[in-house]
Amino acid sequence: MALNILIVDDSAVMRAMIVKTLQISGLPLGELLQAANGQEGLEIISKNWIDLVLADINMPEMNGIQMIERIREDSNTAHIPVLIVSSSSGQALSDAVQRLGAGFIHKPFTPEQLRNQIIQITGVSDEQAYTNSSFSGGGFDF
Amino acid sequence: MNKRIQTALSQAAVSTFESMGFLLPTRELDERQLKAPAEASVTVAFHGPVHGALQVRTFGRLLPVLTANMMGLMEAPSAQLQQDALGEIANVICGHIVTFLTEPDAVYSLDSPKVSGPAAAPGKEDGSLEAQVQLGIEDGRTVVELRIFEGTLAP
Repeated sequence: MALNILIVDDSAVMRAMIVKTLQISGLPLGELLQAANGQEGLEIISKNWIDLVLADINMPEMNGIQMIERIREDSNTAHIPVLIVSSSSGQALSDAVQRLGAGFIHKPFTPEQLRNQIIQITGVSDEQAYTNSSFSGGGFDF
Repeated sequence: MNKRIQTALSQAAVSTFESMGFLLPTRELDERQLKAPAEASVTVAFHGPVHGALQVRTFGRLLPVLTANMMGLMEAPSAQLQQDALGEIANVICGHIVTFLTEPDAVYSLDSPKVSGPAAAPGKEDGSLEAQVQLGIEDGRTVVELRIFEGTLAP
């Protein structure tokens, strides 16, 4: 299964870094779509088949938590796995992540950490990931 | 300055420039790095049990290299993307250092990074300076400062 992934982050540089990390992660990738805030993210989700959302928290217009709440409220999108990618931390964020059934990865992260989190929340098998992998391990992280 | 936070800030700044920018900061600077002209400045304010701000200033021509490395490009990206890249660096360092200020599980919110003039050094009115790190990078340098406006740090 090739994953169609939506990356939601107000930083164009961070979105580019995540794309680059995904491309070397060895995960089976389909389309990689991008949005600069939660509102844009919801519009893309409404028009495309999305297998996974990677979302920042602090964004203008609509933040990551608000976007995930909207995703969970809609029966058409409630099933979509979401991984929060943030430099923030703390108990309140952990509680929100758990309440929304999302995963969490702290910036900066390595390609292995990102791949492992995605495998965990999407159910893509390790075997599928490694079959697609040209990734050789250490020495490269974000 | 607070020695515990100073050490944590130094480690956070070095690892962030290494892991996100593929640059190798040094704690000892040469004459050329010390004389490099101001290039850019970004501040991230944080709010929680302690309120304050983290500022990252760069000197020399670091941003084109930093941004190209972060984005995996061969050529220097636009000035806007360069500011964006420095903002992300500041955001990640700030997200890391706030966990050292009070209890590790304390809740902090970070504002979006704000770009200021290249030579915008903070003054006394900008809070008390708790930690400052200067690192040599390529032909330039970076100065990272943590200031507290309100609240009490953990001992």
